[in-house]
Amino acid sequence: MKNFFIILIMKILHLILKICGKNGGNFLGKIAYDWSPDIFKYFKIDCPIIAVTATNGKTMTNNAIGYVFKTAEKKVISNTEGNNMETGILSTLLKNCTLTGKVKADYLVFEVDEGYVPVVFKDLKLDTLVILDFFRDQLDRNGEVESLILRINDFLKDYNGNLILNNDDPNVARLGKSNPDNKNVYYFSVDKYDYATEDMKEAGEGKFCPFCNTRIEYEYYQYSHIGKFKCPNCNYGDNEIYKLATDIDLKNRTFKVDDIIYKIRFNSIYNIYNFVAVISCVSLYNIDMEIVKAALSKFILNNGRLEELEINGIPTIINLAKNPTGSNVSLRILNEDDDEKELLFVLNDNIADGFDVSWIWDINFDNLNNVSRIITAGTRAYDIAIRIKTSGFDSSKIEPYLDLHEAIQQLYKTDIKKYVIANYTSLQPTRKEILRQEENLL
Amino acid sequence: MKELKILYLYPDILELYGDFGNIQVLKYRLEKRGFKAIIEPYSIGDTPPNFCDYDLVFAGGGADQEQGILAQDLITYKENIKQAVDNGTFFLLICGAYQLFGKYYKGVEGNKIPGLEIFDYYTEAIADRKKRCIGNIVIEANLNGKQTKIIGFENHGGQTFDIDTPFGSVLFGNGNKFGDTKEGFFLDNVIATYLHGPLLSKNPELTDYIIKYCLDRKYDEDIILEPLDDEFENKCREQLLDRFLTNNK
Repeated sequence: MKNFFIILIMKILHLILKICGKNGGNFLGKIAYDWSPDIFKYFKIDCPIIAVTATNGKTMTNNAIGYVFKTAEKKVISNTEGNNMETGILSTLLKNCTLTGKVKADYLVFEVDEGYVPVVFKDLKLDTLVILDFFRDQLDRNGEVESLILRINDFLKDYNGNLILNNDDPNVARLGKSNPDNKNVYYFSVDKYDYATEDMKEAGEGKFCPFCNTRIEYEYYQYSHIGKFKCPNCNYGDNEIYKLATDIDLKNRTFKVDDIIYKIRFNSIYNIYNFVAVISCVSLYNIDMEIVKAALSKFILNNGRLEELEINGIPTIINLAKNPTGSNVSLRILNEDDDEKELLFVLNDNIADGFDVSWIWDINFDNLNNVSRIITAGTRAYDIAIRIKTSGFDSSKIEPYLDLHEAIQQLYKTDIKKYVIANYTSLQPTRKEILRQEENLL
Repeated sequence: MKELKILYLYPDILELYGDFGNIQVLKYRLEKRGFKAIIEPYSIGDTPPNFCDYDLVFAGGGADQEQGILAQDLITYKENIKQAVDNGTFFLLICGAYQLFGKYYKGVEGNKIPGLEIFDYYTEAIADRKKRCIGNIVIEANLNGKQTKIIGFENHGGQTFDIDTPFGSVLFGNGNKFGDTKEGFFLDNVIATYLHGPLLSKNPELTDYIIKYCLDRKYDEDIILEPLDDEFENKCREQLLDRFLTNNK
């Protein structure tokens, strides 16, 4: 009865928020969860629940899975705005349920913060869990990657649903052994691409086999510690692959899975991994692959995740990068583009970013390809300027500004192509300021 | 051409908090002045190094599990390391490496992980696993008679005891223990500290102190280092010292 009233009150609150033109974010979920921590049990859900977790790529993969289902004319409920902790998922459920807690949809698709998977799915029955990658991320807030993996490992010990794992991340592939009785483990992989390297180019994790402590051997690295690996002692990593992407062509933005060529709107190796995860996931639900192909050819995100804009005719690419791997992936895209360009790097150290900015030293700024100027901004504009200078980039071509507005005005003084990397709390202010730049000239 | 030989310990394992940046900053400030930086990495499975052959030995912090694996390896060099410390090779030890060079590390369950026992300090984990000293930190150190503010970031659960010669006194942050007044461990040729950042990135005077020590020792001189363009570093220090010390946040 208590939960009925909570839902009733949340519905009323939601209505009030809506009238005021507010979305509410985690707000409803936060109140409801504080009130009744086992409220998840109250929902009546008959359709499959799919969750995506990772350090990087959750939003893109989650939203792409939802988009494919919608293209196939299914009803999908999803937290597409990125509210991915227990309160965010609860908010999404509260907004979409009946007063008796019924949630009517064909699929529920959630991105879930990697620390919250065990919390959210204690009482919600999960049908498919997709795990993309684990990288170091805000160590002062999240702690070491290993403790995070161990928590998910514990959760998986008695999980028997579908488990879709990136076989090229040793931190992820190991979770296929969490429950030896689970017959529903599917591994995906991506063939070597043109810029793969023999040695690790960027900071990464998982150097030792989690089962026998032997040093893991790599045939090649795609980026960070993602690549073809195997433990020379116990063969860990040598799994049967469910979906493999081949013929990676980032220039033309195409790849192939099961003899179907997919054309996408993104040009990073890291997106190929996201989309093979999407294909692996939706194929378990018998979605026609022609529909998948059509959906992926149209799918974009307009929220600063590899967003491509034209500002007063100047091509501008914005990407969120809240950890070393996110930044390194952005710089890979920059380096794979031979055009002359300028880089803006915005670095804040607010609470949601983590106060520790030493992770910027794990970004590989060596030998930037045809970058003529770098502007830095944010509360740690000087830290990132020092970092870039130390990597050997000519310091006379680096301009730090603590003021974001000034930084962006300076950036658009030239008409050279722009690459913009911004961390968590700086992304939306940066994006807004850039969009304002266009209005100013009109 | 004058050169410094730097031994970089376990670069693939002790690399959690961008500590590698310390090596980059050293290299940058050496090369800008026309000195050569020879950086030789050593990790598990490599040919054993002779620590006495180096002007500077550097080691950073790592993940707990991996740090356990390398402690067993490092302990085989105990006598050689002692000798190098006595000979005057400079040791820059950050976080995990700082702890490893002491007597022991006592975990939450009371289990003792033996250290190299090069120095007399010891470290104990705090009982509450979730409690760690985390945050920006500013200390004041005496470098060749000059009081110098050092800016960094600390993130450690271990509390280090029994230090008579700290690296500096704490102006902002925790230090060797929660709410401590002292931070790190300091001898003429040893700096052991919890400061990440990386430490040397925002503290050019400290970097130059280490470079001068190593060059003076190697070439038996009293070198005056050519000043470099430290505009970004100085502005960064000005901004952060104002924020941490004046505005306290």
